[in-house]
Amino acid sequence: MSETIERAGSGMQAAQAPAPGGGGATRLARKRHSPDGWWPALFILPLAAGIGLFYLWPLLQSVYYSFTEWGVFGGSTWTGVENYVRLMQDPDVLRAIVNTLVYTGILLVGIPIAVVFAALLNRPGLRFAMIYRTCFFLPYIAMPTAISMVWRIIYNNDYGVINSTLRVVGIEGPAWISTEWFSLVAVAIVGLWMSIGFNMIILSAGLKGIPPELYEASAIDGAGKGRQFRSITVPLLTPSIFFLSVMTFIAGFQLFDMLYALLGPTNPVMPKTQSLVFLFYDAAFGANEKGYASAIGVLILLIIGLFTLVQFRLQRRWVHYAD
Amino acid sequence: MRFPHAIIGAAAVALLLSGCTSGSSGDATGPINLPEDPASVTGDISYAIWDVNQQPAMEKLIADFNTTYPNVDVSVELTAFPQYFTKLQTQGSSGTLPDVFWMNGPNLQLFASNDMLAPLEPFEDADLFDPSNYPSAMNDIYTYDGTQYGVPKDFDTIALFYNKAILARAGVEAPTADWTWDDYHAAAKKISDTLGGEGIIGSGDSTRNQENVYPAVLSNGGTIIDGDKSGYDSPEAVEALQFWADMVADGSSLTPAANADTEGFDRFLNGQVGLVWGGNWRVSGVLESAVAADVSVAELPLAPTGERKTVIHGVANAMSAHSDNPEAAQAFLSYLGSEEAALIQAEAGAANPAFNGTQQDFVDSAPGMNLQVFEDAATDYAEAYPVSKNTGAWNKVELDLLPQAFSGERPVADVAKDLADQMNEALAKEK
Amino acid sequence: MPINNMQTRNARGGSIAGHNRGAHVVLIIGSLLMIFPFLWQVKMSISTEADIMSIPPTLWPSSFEWNNFAEVFTRVPFLSQFWVSLAVTVLRTLAQLILCSMAGYAFARMHFRFKGILLAVLLSILMVPTQVYLIPQYQIVQSVGLLDTIAGIAAPGLFSAFGTFLMMQFFKAMPAELEQAARLDGCNSWQIFTRVMMPLAKPGLISLAIITVLASWNDLLWPLVVASSPDNMPLSVGLATLQGYQGSVDTGVLMAASLMAMAPILIVFVALQRRVVEGIAFAGLK
Repeated sequence: MSETIERAGSGMQAAQAPAPGGGGATRLARKRHSPDGWWPALFILPLAAGIGLFYLWPLLQSVYYSFTEWGVFGGSTWTGVENYVRLMQDPDVLRAIVNTLVYTGILLVGIPIAVVFAALLNRPGLRFAMIYRTCFFLPYIAMPTAISMVWRIIYNNDYGVINSTLRVVGIEGPAWISTEWFSLVAVAIVGLWMSIGFNMIILSAGLKGIPPELYEASAIDGAGKGRQFRSITVPLLTPSIFFLSVMTFIAGFQLFDMLYALLGPTNPVMPKTQSLVFLFYDAAFGANEKGYASAIGVLILLIIGLFTLVQFRLQRRWVHYAD
Repeated sequence: MRFPHAIIGAAAVALLLSGCTSGSSGDATGPINLPEDPASVTGDISYAIWDVNQQPAMEKLIADFNTTYPNVDVSVELTAFPQYFTKLQTQGSSGTLPDVFWMNGPNLQLFASNDMLAPLEPFEDADLFDPSNYPSAMNDIYTYDGTQYGVPKDFDTIALFYNKAILARAGVEAPTADWTWDDYHAAAKKISDTLGGEGIIGSGDSTRNQENVYPAVLSNGGTIIDGDKSGYDSPEAVEALQFWADMVADGSSLTPAANADTEGFDRFLNGQVGLVWGGNWRVSGVLESAVAADVSVAELPLAPTGERKTVIHGVANAMSAHSDNPEAAQAFLSYLGSEEAALIQAEAGAANPAFNGTQQDFVDSAPGMNLQVFEDAATDYAEAYPVSKNTGAWNKVELDLLPQAFSGERPVADVAKDLADQMNEALAKEK
Repeated sequence: MPINNMQTRNARGGSIAGHNRGAHVVLIIGSLLMIFPFLWQVKMSISTEADIMSIPPTLWPSSFEWNNFAEVFTRVPFLSQFWVSLAVTVLRTLAQLILCSMAGYAFARMHFRFKGILLAVLLSILMVPTQVYLIPQYQIVQSVGLLDTIAGIAAPGLFSAFGTFLMMQFFKAMPAELEQAARLDGCNSWQIFTRVMMPLAKPGLISLAIITVLASWNDLLWPLVVASSPDNMPLSVGLATLQGYQGSVDTGVLMAASLMAMAPILIVFVALQRRVVEGIAFAGLK
């Protein structure tokens, strides 16, 4: 998968450069030399038609509307870069970017946690592995509407399990869903909880791909379990870890549903906890400023695009590919 | 950027398709001539609502409607409130609104000003609707630019709920119509001080707009919107906000944070709160709770001005201006506005009906609770719930800023000034 | 394979058991943290509202409200909504398996113009909040008359940028020799794809299927806007209508309903776990 994104990443660079193929003559020549003829078109067209209609067209529309004042029920007036100027002056936007990054950062912590669990789960001859795996996978299949309500009750300051338990040992816990920063952490914990099972299963596959001989050889050299974990397991897992970090980033920046359901839209801590997508939704469907909302959407695209690009640039420094 | 022809082609198709969205066959604005024979009105219409608890009552209304109009098939479309208006906006942008649907005050002008709703004048002309059947403040909420667009369905006013048992244990007398804000504050303080050790707090006021902020500001002679300006920076409004901030500061009432955790009224239902301002839609919840036997209702306390005010709001039924089956929709909307429909609603205990003189069933639903207070409030001291063309924009500003005043994070006057400025900005954009 | 496993385990017996004790401790703690919210949900689903909000919380309900489960059937048309969820999920999964693997194969193995740009476009689509697509997609589905239908709910999800990436990467990892051999035998690209590549792509297809099934089963905002009548809503939307208005929610019933909505996926997962784990694991292989 990481290879995939690498290709896509280079595609992104290509998109910024002039389209390849220059003049008509070279283009024709290329086409003739292509061994695949019209096959690629036949293979891609069914998907491209759907993607173009349901995703690309709305995306382009949205980019256009980001330069307009867009009426709630249609009809737009061109306002140039006005929405973007407002975007840069809006203190909520900066705070939302920080919040989204903090949230994503906490989600990323789930990757090393998952590495440890996955390594344990993949020990040879481990009993009950299937049961453990089911437990870890459960949160991934939970219905967000319902499970956020469960967590809301678990976090409750008065009758929630967490603070009631802390109270028994004499600690007064924070009001998780209504205290600045704690509310963001509370949301991130649920995000983490939902992602760990998925991370683990992906990492388990990476672990299965590590040849056992490597461990045997290092054991002969006298390496202990901890040393093996650091010098063999982790380096050989880096492609999977890289894939997860790219996906976690994209998922982290989409934070909305959980925030909305867990904290509630009228929570006084929301202005300090809101994410970029929350701002988008609020502008689009709360304040009915769909043009401004579109500009926020474009900003989200640009930020994730930038971070993805940086991740691909940096991967050479730490990701080890087997071949 | 250049795109392959396939994608440009797909995009062009989409453009063509979405270009012809607002066209609709219905003529919902002309004169209404419902046929003599109700059986000749036929077809399917949809009726969108947001409250699952009122669905059975709505089904009863439809059944009753069908005794007169046997050939109209009305289907209820239920969407929970958090997504209701997102869906309605999406439908509106494609000309596919439900034929008849619930509307609220904050969204009325937005939909009306975009020609989404059928005006009620033709109904009046055909004697199918008479505004004098409803509280005039309710008609005001659903009027935009001199034209009414919503048939009031139910109404709510605000009063003071109290838990007799808690008050007695704290040695606090039951509230009377003569209570002032000071009396209220002192009573709440006494409860918190006496019973705080048991986790009981005096007032569960959650500093919500409708139940706390608006009634207090209006009682004190202030306004929320005055013409096209925010009223929050007036001394009267600041004094009212300060009243709540003081309540929070000395522990008489809940902090905004505590409210976010467990809402004040839910605490009241759990017997953890002695006093709380609340709307009459809370009554059914009270009756189902464990504290039902201990609860009664009194008038809101008097502001330092010696006045008391409540906001009045309620749901209205509205009809889409682009209904595909205007005849059936008109017949149904007219029925929903009738006294008959109001009585069925009241009997089902779904809500306090808006039709004048049909509220007795609601008052009788809890004989010991003194619910007449809500009805008297509507006739004696209610003002229309404040709305504008894009209410959502400044509601968000209120939501963002007011908790800062109540939590003591910033001085009340500063917050009020900020709030008024940002609200004025939002209001200016409506032009 | 299970027998072999047992033998190895027995042969090395005690030492491994002792050796894994630490691992079991950590895994049990981790598992408990993972399933605790579900245990709490189960508890709430058979509790009264008063039990749910009692201070301090009770570990055991004071009375068992099994009625909450029966109540679900009176509140929402559970069976027809289950059918909608199933139909939408099957449609989306089948379409993605076919369309994404075709496109993924072309991206992985064929040469054509604008490949880089097309890939960049696909990736950008993943980066935009899904709510951006809501109104335009609605207008498209409306204009072809598919509102409030299973086809309309399924439509945008038939196509997936993510799925295309996943399948592309899978095909890239497959040895080129197979294709060359087939080409020498006179197969054209379509024949190579259907006869040679697809059978080998099973693990990739399974992983795509799982991701699509879960995304489709839990999808909320899109089906909520497109479906209007209760009988045409998937379970996720039916559940959302139970939320009530201003605190008038019946928590126990909502919890029971969501457990019932989750159950089919859980049962399928447990039944097919070995294959599912292998399938999903593939998404992480480079």
